[in-house]
Amino acid sequence: MTAARRWCLVLAGAAVLLVAPLAVRALPADDSEITATDLLERVQQSAAVPHTGYAESVGSLQLPVADEFSELAALLGERSRLRVWWRGVDDWRVDAIDPAGETDLFHNGLTTTSWDYQAERAVVTPEPTIRLPRSADLLPPQLARLALDDALPEEVSRLPAERIAGQDAPGLRLEPSMPQSTIDHVDVWADEDTGLPLQVEVWGVDSTLAAVSSTFLDVSLATPSAEVTQFVAPATAEVVVEDVFDVAAGADRFSEAVAPRRLAGLATRPGTPQDRPVGQYGRGLTTMVAVPLWDQAADPLREQLLDTPGARIGSAGVALTVGPLNLRLAPEFGREDRSWLVAGTVDAATVTHATRRLHGVDYTSRPVG
Amino acid sequence: MIVVELRKLLTRPRTWITIALIDALPTLVAVLLALTDVGPRPGTGPAFLSAVLADGTLFPLAALAMVLPLFLPVAVALTAGDAIAGEAQTGTLRYLLARPVGRTRLLVAKLVAVIAFVLLTVLVVAATGFVVGALLLGDAPLSSSVSGTSLTQQELAWRTVLALGYAVLAMLGVASIALFFSTITDSPPGAAMGALAFLIASTLLLTLDAANALQPYLPTRYWLAFVDLFRDPILWRDVGFGVLQQGVYVLLFLGAAWANFTTRDITS
Repeated sequence: MTAARRWCLVLAGAAVLLVAPLAVRALPADDSEITATDLLERVQQSAAVPHTGYAESVGSLQLPVADEFSELAALLGERSRLRVWWRGVDDWRVDAIDPAGETDLFHNGLTTTSWDYQAERAVVTPEPTIRLPRSADLLPPQLARLALDDALPEEVSRLPAERIAGQDAPGLRLEPSMPQSTIDHVDVWADEDTGLPLQVEVWGVDSTLAAVSSTFLDVSLATPSAEVTQFVAPATAEVVVEDVFDVAAGADRFSEAVAPRRLAGLATRPGTPQDRPVGQYGRGLTTMVAVPLWDQAADPLREQLLDTPGARIGSAGVALTVGPLNLRLAPEFGREDRSWLVAGTVDAATVTHATRRLHGVDYTSRPVG
Repeated sequence: MIVVELRKLLTRPRTWITIALIDALPTLVAVLLALTDVGPRPGTGPAFLSAVLADGTLFPLAALAMVLPLFLPVAVALTAGDAIAGEAQTGTLRYLLARPVGRTRLLVAKLVAVIAFVLLTVLVVAATGFVVGALLLGDAPLSSSVSGTSLTQQELAWRTVLALGYAVLAMLGVASIALFFSTITDSPPGAAMGALAFLIASTLLLTLDAANALQPYLPTRYWLAFVDLFRDPILWRDVGFGVLQQGVYVLLFLGAAWANFTTRDITS
């Protein structure tokens, strides 16, 4: 065999090996006749659809890292690799995996267990009604439903189908109609039969990069076994039972403050409790939260914010804009040893207005516990 | 020819000094952990290292995670880079080929010797890890997976064997790249550096979001996926991709090494 033939053989082999996977991936998806409103309805009703899968989410929001919020900053600013076993809304498991370990959430009924392999620690907490975003919220179905559950039919339109995790998925675009929103649009691709969202992209106004995107790379609609969603602690692990899930749940449980029912022109989110310390406002992904933080959580966050390039300091505290997210931490509130943190995907004027109102009014009226 | 190459590999002091140096790092770590009882903080340190204080049977895997990203590929690149270029540099390649030995046969013999080196190194690291783990570190009655479920000794054993096999395959990818460079230069360090430059570039590109589309094709992308064998249920995705990817690298670079070596002018 001549030199030329040998090299041709090697190059042909290389071409086949490199091009074959790209060619398979480039096959166009079969589109569907389903209307935007029908697909929206199926997505909204897909919470109970059992599934098993592997997803990756990518956040491009570089939030300042502070003790109580470091996990949130990682979720919104980094790539997360997630495995899910979903038997239903009250029985699921989500593993956030990394090269050296994993942090898992096991949810069964009223409790959620968080397992951290590297710390060899399991924390059992009651499932809170209010909490910070956690890994499970970044899965395509959860993120899509957060965006679409309160969506109006006139806010959605169809997108061409795409092939996601080997499935043809018709697409849906949501363009929020609320004037305060800093979200330009949310694109969702879902399984047509079940409405299970398979890919989500959240785009801020005037952005060239999705703020958050989440995609299933493998998914099966078979019901996972009950065994896989049950957590049994290893003998050497530390198991702790705690009252609250995170700093937001702690504030909601123990603070004496009460957030108003309406704030800066935004009503309380549909389906969320009222007259609690933590207020949640808006609709879909156009959302704003007001959390009364104790000094031990607020002070490190304030220091971190002050050190962050782009932070603005005014009479209503320190403010920061990160992509579509605006947040403002008010100065300490008189004798209460607490500061209001207001954050959301609403414009800076709305957040500032909300902070001024909260900082200027004492809402103390609620028994603790 | 293969026997000659294997004998040369096993009787050369350099082979055993290299393996001993690779083995020294995990052994030192085991001694330090045993003396201080201080493991890495959560989120830091190589895989499994936080667990070995309680369960020493996991130490072969921690040792593998320590040497796989740097020490092992450097040693493999040096050994494979020396395979052909070393003969050329010392002026013995021409005489080797003057004997009735085909170039393909010589390349295969060199490849088998490199595979033997990889196997030997991984096995020595694992065996040393097992011994020091059992003698110095924790003796939990039952090992647990990364997901917190209990693993029987049999489950732990076969998963460990799979992990070692996976690490060997990952290093065969490195060996193939270095062997290819070894056929295009007469300088063994040059061949090793060529392979290492390839791996360093791959590692750097893995940290760059802009290189996202390239990342599934980078040779170091799936090296540490052996950790996925210890999740419950096992996450086969990256392990499968890693096996396929390394297989492609082995085929491509060995093919290129063969195409180049069998047609090259041998002047030294």
